[in-house]
Amino acid sequence: MKLTHFALSLVLAFGLAEAKAERLVIKGSDTLGAKLVPQLAEHFKAEHPGTTFDIAAEGSTTGIAAIIDGTAEIGMSSRRAKSSEVGAATAKGRNMKPTIVAYDGIAVIVNSANPVKTLTKKQVEQIFAGDVADWSAVGGSGGKISIYTRNTSSGTYSEFKELAMKKRDYAKSSQKMAGNEQIAAEVGKNPSGVGYVGMAYTKASGVKVVSIDGATPSVKSVQDHSYPYWRPTFYYTNGEASGLAKQFLDFTVGPGGQKIVAQVGFVPVK
Amino acid sequence: MLTKKFVLIAIIITFFVPKMSMFAQDAGALLDLLVRKKLITDQEAEEVRAELTKEAATTSGGKWKLSSPITEIELYGDARLRYQYNGGQTGDNSPLARSANGIAGKDDWQERERERYRLRLGLRGTLVDDWFFGIRFETNTNPRSTNVTFGDDSGVNGPFSKDSDRINVGQAYLGYKGFRDVTLTAGRMPNPLVTTPMVWDPDINPEGLAEQWKHTYNFEFGGGSTTASAESYSKEGGKGFVAPAPSEPFKLKLDLFVNFTQFIYDDANPENPLGPRARNSAGAGAATHQTGQLIPNTDAFLLAWQAGARLTFPKNIFLQIAPTIYNYTGNGDTFNIHYQGGSPFVTNAVSLAQNQTGINSLLVFDMPWEIGWKVGELPMHVFGDFSVNLEGDDRATAAGHPGFGDERYAYQVGLGVGQLKQKHDWQIDVAYQHSEQYALDPNLVDDDIFDGRQNMHGIIVRAGYALSDAVIFNVTWNYGWRINDNLGTGGTPIAIGINPLDQYQFFVADLNIKF
Repeated sequence: MKLTHFALSLVLAFGLAEAKAERLVIKGSDTLGAKLVPQLAEHFKAEHPGTTFDIAAEGSTTGIAAIIDGTAEIGMSSRRAKSSEVGAATAKGRNMKPTIVAYDGIAVIVNSANPVKTLTKKQVEQIFAGDVADWSAVGGSGGKISIYTRNTSSGTYSEFKELAMKKRDYAKSSQKMAGNEQIAAEVGKNPSGVGYVGMAYTKASGVKVVSIDGATPSVKSVQDHSYPYWRPTFYYTNGEASGLAKQFLDFTVGPGGQKIVAQVGFVPVK
Repeated sequence: MLTKKFVLIAIIITFFVPKMSMFAQDAGALLDLLVRKKLITDQEAEEVRAELTKEAATTSGGKWKLSSPITEIELYGDARLRYQYNGGQTGDNSPLARSANGIAGKDDWQERERERYRLRLGLRGTLVDDWFFGIRFETNTNPRSTNVTFGDDSGVNGPFSKDSDRINVGQAYLGYKGFRDVTLTAGRMPNPLVTTPMVWDPDINPEGLAEQWKHTYNFEFGGGSTTASAESYSKEGGKGFVAPAPSEPFKLKLDLFVNFTQFIYDDANPENPLGPRARNSAGAGAATHQTGQLIPNTDAFLLAWQAGARLTFPKNIFLQIAPTIYNYTGNGDTFNIHYQGGSPFVTNAVSLAQNQTGINSLLVFDMPWEIGWKVGELPMHVFGDFSVNLEGDDRATAAGHPGFGDERYAYQVGLGVGQLKQKHDWQIDVAYQHSEQYALDPNLVDDDIFDGRQNMHGIIVRAGYALSDAVIFNVTWNYGWRINDNLGTGGTPIAIGINPLDQYQFFVADLNIKF
């Protein structure tokens, strides 16, 4: 009897331990969260059974905000935290610590049928700021330019404004999309469309990448920074990561994770 | 690597702590250089960047928070100390009354001297999606002045009383610039019209709506080589040819602009009263046969339509004109009594008591203009303004002077040398101004010129010197005479309680500080 009770208790304890699976909440960038991080999570789960992930990819701003208010262990971001965000974190006793997990090149894409193959940096600024409204002004065959951008919570929105537009405002006519895949889908359907996406999203059907001053986004051009719109992407944590967050972060920047980074279409950290 | 990172942070913080908030923003280029030189890795650079940003956020500068819709903000203002003299004289043929204590006689001078200050403090900025805003606080409640006189309110609470030293909202406006070349503004705003002090006092901030359009056209004429190549000789190559330098094209810049405004001049309150509408009481408007008339219950608006151009030639030569029509609609309930403007044939007190503010029969065509050029490095300009009240006949008739409808013109012409832009700059402007009794709205004209009166002409001289980029010393002097001896000098007296003014003198010395 005593042995049965003891065995039963052991089974129950073990079962409870198994039922209390570890859960990691990750919020933020669509660039990282739409493809890369889910794939990383799947591989991590294979090596760490019982781990669950809660991934929400609604834009880098939401990821940084989640670290500030403590609703996520990892905040994905395709931009650096602003000083106001760092200040808000400090005020709440939080420490925004960035870890570079991959590099990316923001690619300017047009519809496959568009004859434009190359643009200068000035032309890119003029197109997205609305100074130039017709494809004929930049060597195309004519037609009103339809601009697709990300929305204001997107890190890619902010980074492209910084890198390509000298911080100018986007054209009033630009249409705001929720994610990279949406932009790629719209440009792929619209012969007059132009937009920007992370490198991992340039293989969508119906789109092609234009070179910028002769440079196209590639592993080499991003690593040696010769592509003008290269950028680091980050996991933000509250100080040094610990527990499951540290394990996942270490996996991401380790050989296994970086192999997945390259497979998805990002540029591994050296 | 970790040690190297913290040494780097320590060095940066040690040398740049006093300017941490600024340096955090500038550190990017330095860190990028260190990464390119392979002295630190990207990850180390990001960690240093994050540390610097965190440090900056804890400084006093870093604690400033602006709401997220603000994309740009500017704090600005100015303070001024002023010595002011006003003097006016009655004529030798008016007024009628014999001089007594407080009663003006013939050839009688009234003079005032004041020590004054003003303060204007403003905030203006841009918001997301092409919106903008501005607010400015100013001393003095008078729309045509921001000056406060030292010691003028001692009788209220004793010496150094603060009764007149109040802050008022001078400007409060918002606007939209999202349409190409177009600016829309609403509220209490800086005057959007191109004008001169002959028509508008520069201190007035009108209230209402403004729509502005401006576009720049650039032209180039000629250019390229037009002469034959010249022969040249060299030791090595013998005879050769030198291509002449291509001639510069002639460049012209044309700015076209259009400004429309709808200003609320007077709000009638109420539009729908309890009981029957009020009428002018006995005495009110008696001289203009308006006693007993219904007081208007609609607002008065000042509408302006302006279309202008500025042509800029090479070598800093420019020409600008801005023809404008001012149209007043409605009378409101404050300015509905017809303008009279005073008379030399009554006592000074009776003359002053005649209506000086009515806006009846004003349809004014105005054209300010300016031509500028440089002699060597010295900027020069001629400038002026011309106005005519197209309803001058009606205005004179309503004032009780049907034969004086021709007193409807105002003009100014002047010459200026120099320009106040930076330390040690100087500028002198000399102008002649002529403003007839029924030409302009007496409520808007610059009250520093001839006490803001009509039926006056004279000389205006202004000189300024920049003691530093932000501090300017100015003197202004004007001397005016009455134009038509059969009429008063209309307009609310600002400093001198005489109507008609036969002669007037004004002098101010200002020390201005801009920030």
